Amino acid sequence: MALVLTLTAILSSSAFFSRAYAQSNNPSQDVLQKKVSRLQAKAIKNKGVIELDTNSFEEVLSKPRNYSMAVLFTATSPEYQCVPCLNFDPEYRLVAAGWTKLADKSQLFFGSLDFKVGQPIFQKFGMNSAPAVLFFPSDKAANQAPERYDFARSGFIAEPFAKWVNAKAATDIRIKRPIDLVALAVKVLSGFAFIGVGYLLYKKATKVSGSKYLWSAISLFTIFIMISGHMWNQIRNPPYTIPGRGGRSGFIAQGFQNQFGLESQVIAVLYAALTGCVIALIGVVPRIETPALQRAAVWVSMGLFIFLFSLLIQIFRVKNPAYPFTLLFK
Amino acid sequence: MSAETTSTIAKVLKPTILILIAIVAISSRLFSIIRFESVIHEFDPWFNYRTTQHLVKNGFYEFWNWFDEKSWYPLGRVVGGTVYPGIMVTSALIHNILHFFNFPVDIRNICVFLAPMFSGLTAFSAYLLTKELKDSSAGLLAAAFLGVAPGYISRSVAGSYDNEGIAIFLLVFTFYLWIKAVKTGSAFFGLLTALFYFYMVSAWGGYVFITNLVPLHAFTLVLMGRFSNRLYVSYSTFYAVGTLLSMQIPFVGFQPTRTSEHMAALGVFGLLQLRGFAELIRGLVTPKQFRTLLKTGIAIVTVVSLTILTLLSMSGVVAPFTGRFYSLWDTGYAKVHIPIIASVSEHQPTAWTSFFFDLQMLIFLFPAGVYLCFKELKDEHVFIILYSVFASYFAGVMVRLMLTLTPVVCVSAAIAYSTLLDTYLEKSEHVLATTLQGGASTSAASASAIESTSASKKHGTKSTNKDTSETKPHSAAASSRNNNASEKPKRFPIFSWDSRMMVILQLTWFLFMFAWHCTYVTSGSYSSPSIVLATRGHDGSQVIIDDFREAYYWLRKNTGENTKVMSWWDYGYQMAGMANITTLVDNNTWNNTHIATVGKAMATSEDVAYKVLRQHDVDYVLVIFGGVLGYSGDDINKFLWMIRIGEGVYPNEVKEQSFFTPRGEYKVDHEATPAMKNSLMYKMSYYRFSELHGGNAVDHVRSARMPAEGPTLSVLEEAYTTEHWLVRIYKVKDLDNIGRDLKDATAFDNGKARKSSLKRK
Repeated sequence: MALVLTLTAILSSSAFFSRAYAQSNNPSQDVLQKKVSRLQAKAIKNKGVIELDTNSFEEVLSKPRNYSMAVLFTATSPEYQCVPCLNFDPEYRLVAAGWTKLADKSQLFFGSLDFKVGQPIFQKFGMNSAPAVLFFPSDKAANQAPERYDFARSGFIAEPFAKWVNAKAATDIRIKRPIDLVALAVKVLSGFAFIGVGYLLYKKATKVSGSKYLWSAISLFTIFIMISGHMWNQIRNPPYTIPGRGGRSGFIAQGFQNQFGLESQVIAVLYAALTGCVIALIGVVPRIETPALQRAAVWVSMGLFIFLFSLLIQIFRVKNPAYPFTLLFK
Repeated sequence: MSAETTSTIAKVLKPTILILIAIVAISSRLFSIIRFESVIHEFDPWFNYRTTQHLVKNGFYEFWNWFDEKSWYPLGRVVGGTVYPGIMVTSALIHNILHFFNFPVDIRNICVFLAPMFSGLTAFSAYLLTKELKDSSAGLLAAAFLGVAPGYISRSVAGSYDNEGIAIFLLVFTFYLWIKAVKTGSAFFGLLTALFYFYMVSAWGGYVFITNLVPLHAFTLVLMGRFSNRLYVSYSTFYAVGTLLSMQIPFVGFQPTRTSEHMAALGVFGLLQLRGFAELIRGLVTPKQFRTLLKTGIAIVTVVSLTILTLLSMSGVVAPFTGRFYSLWDTGYAKVHIPIIASVSEHQPTAWTSFFFDLQMLIFLFPAGVYLCFKELKDEHVFIILYSVFASYFAGVMVRLMLTLTPVVCVSAAIAYSTLLDTYLEKSEHVLATTLQGGASTSAASASAIESTSASKKHGTKSTNKDTSETKPHSAAASSRNNNASEKPKRFPIFSWDSRMMVILQLTWFLFMFAWHCTYVTSGSYSSPSIVLATRGHDGSQVIIDDFREAYYWLRKNTGENTKVMSWWDYGYQMAGMANITTLVDNNTWNNTHIATVGKAMATSEDVAYKVLRQHDVDYVLVIFGGVLGYSGDDINKFLWMIRIGEGVYPNEVKEQSFFTPRGEYKVDHEATPAMKNSLMYKMSYYRFSELHGGNAVDHVRSARMPAEGPTLSVLEEAYTTEHWLVRIYKVKDLDNIGRDLKDATAFDNGKARKSSLKRK
């Protein structure tokens, strides 16, 4: 047994050497060289990503091929409503942009194939969902089967993807996120605002009442955000919303333990409005001097309270259809 | 009705209402007893039950020194040093007292009914706590809310014999005592706080919440310039006694001096001492000297303490945060680094639906209550505000911590609700009189609003006198400090009776809805014992599925105490408790490597797994299979976690990637990957499954049509499969007695020729 193994090893390695030897003075080497430099030019022009279609896909991946290739199967056209595709696309391009900084750009290329122009390829690889990234090793590699990037495990972010590509192609791609000027400006401004508020607070530190409203606003805001499932969004990273389809409202996610970003914000606003009604009934109404005005205020806030509560229950019934209680709406 | 009669009636009514609340709280937790029987639920309770039995049978010292060689085979587990003994000691104490008075109550029934009984006490402590914040009518509401709120019921139904069952009572009661201590400044209440803190430490790991919230409260008060001798006395008593006591629990040990979770409490303790010392110095020197002293003092203390802290943490004396605690702050941490924590369903984040499901209308009354606390803002209200903000954050991160949020939600919702009732039920004359009083003192009263009769004036003066006599000296001091804020704006009564009627009726209706909601949720979602399942048959009749107990009973009757049974860790406690056998891993997930070894055995091929099984003397392997019944919590669905945990320790032998099809799907039918098909778990789950329904077997969990030819087993043989195939037990074969490979031996027994084995040799 062991003998057989060694033999195979020797055979395969000698085959490898002989092929490598053959390649160096093979006339097809020139063709390959040309192909690589053409691809290189194309990629550099498009910030690292080669846009593919059915024909060019076959051409680029045809053998011989002394480079490896990562291909993003995606569907970015709006009619496909592929939210993760749109999310991942800039991240993918970020990694590809990191590739342009490499010294040796001949080992690995990044391609992108849209469903619109590459339907046959999608069928060929049995893709029934997008986005997907397949890594095609160069023909020097021992294992020729394309490998699939696992989004479910690693998420739609550039960094783990770059790590994966680097491990597969033995490259050293580094990601440099472009500085978002707006975000930076917001940060700087809010930093100044923070310092300013802090300074004002410090000045008025003796007057607790000065900061009391600020603190109550901060606390209530935190509570509203938390009880409407913000941390769930932080950890699970759901899409913000999906476009409505066939009259079904798009901001409510199906399933009891699932939610969209917009959905939890709507709930937070609902809670805040409901709490506002209670506070109006307790704090505002008793300060109104005119009886008629006061009565109107009571009826309006109580009416709004009942309406919003019914609405909340109704949304909850969408999530949990078996829930038996209703208030206003049936 | 005169004031005296009212107060007499109130004196009788309050205890009656509280007793009724306790009865409601207890009886709404009995659904599972009525539907099934008096049985211990779920997983962890089985361990607590088993240790309680041990404690009752062998006494306290034997329990304290118990080395359990029947779990974590072959490592064993030092039970006395790795449990929070509070709940066991409580039950054993109740058991012994009852037996002393010759009430022969079985220990199982005490364990089953412990959590409901304590829920009555929890409701009572919510009453006490809220009474300190507002008044006794708000207290009664809070007690009623907490008595039936599903967020608390979820972990305290009859049979759910778990730490949380008594810990929530201790949590609320400790907080009540702490507030009482801060209000009165008495060392006695500080001591009581420390004692109940000790009880809490002995009962639940969630005591860390108290350890951090109370210092945070003290620290905030200092920042707000509310340092007082009351705070100094109460906190110092609480911290000194509480910490010393908590260190007596072996599982906690020296953690209070060594881990970062406890450092905040220590830091605040030091701060208060310094602050108190500064107060002392201030009385002895001139203001100018004092200022210089203060500045140098602060600088020196900061530098010294920072240096010491850095040195200590660098030398490793003070440990960094533990993983479970750390995952609360950096929510991505657990997912990447500790799959064993991320795999537990109660460690998942909370969607908004869960909040509404568990608290219904309380969830939006709660912020209103917090707002009212801000309006009052005495020392105790600061505490409730801090508690609200932090508990809602934690509840958002982990479903399980809903439990710590629920009490504060009930308390502050009760404050809001009772303020609403006050506003709309209060007598007009009373409000006018107080307005008059307030107006006179601020000289900003508008004469038009005051249409009071002399009678109401008299009434008003009386009540104001009472108010001032009731006001505690410290609150007067506190309000004098923020004098400008305490100037109350004018208040008027609700003039029209129809507005009053509408609001009151509507609020009452909401209460009814809340009660219905709570009963619905408790009955439908939180009363399942999860070891006995109930479904509906085709004709709507109830079908009881008792496969778990069937299997454990088989093990109990057919194997000995020293039989080693391997299963995934979820079932360890149940097997030890019900089947009385030796387990390899269980729900006390202290040894990740050992769990990963079991994961590896489940995820690898028979040959590899057999080595692991032999090394660990495994006699039987148990799997849960829901494919026949459609029970989705089975082992194939948990399999990915086994693989992930196994890969964490044995990255060369277990690879998660190889269990996914090239399309990245997790398949069990004919598309399943070779790694999947060869894994022990797959084989054990689907062994002979295809013979059901004449080769057309369908896995109802994953809705997959299984291939006609099912997997074969050679190192295991089927020992027992329960009625609905939910539990399958396999016996590990001994080595072949003529030295053959087990695969060949099986093939030979099945009458097949030894195919290629000869050639290979």
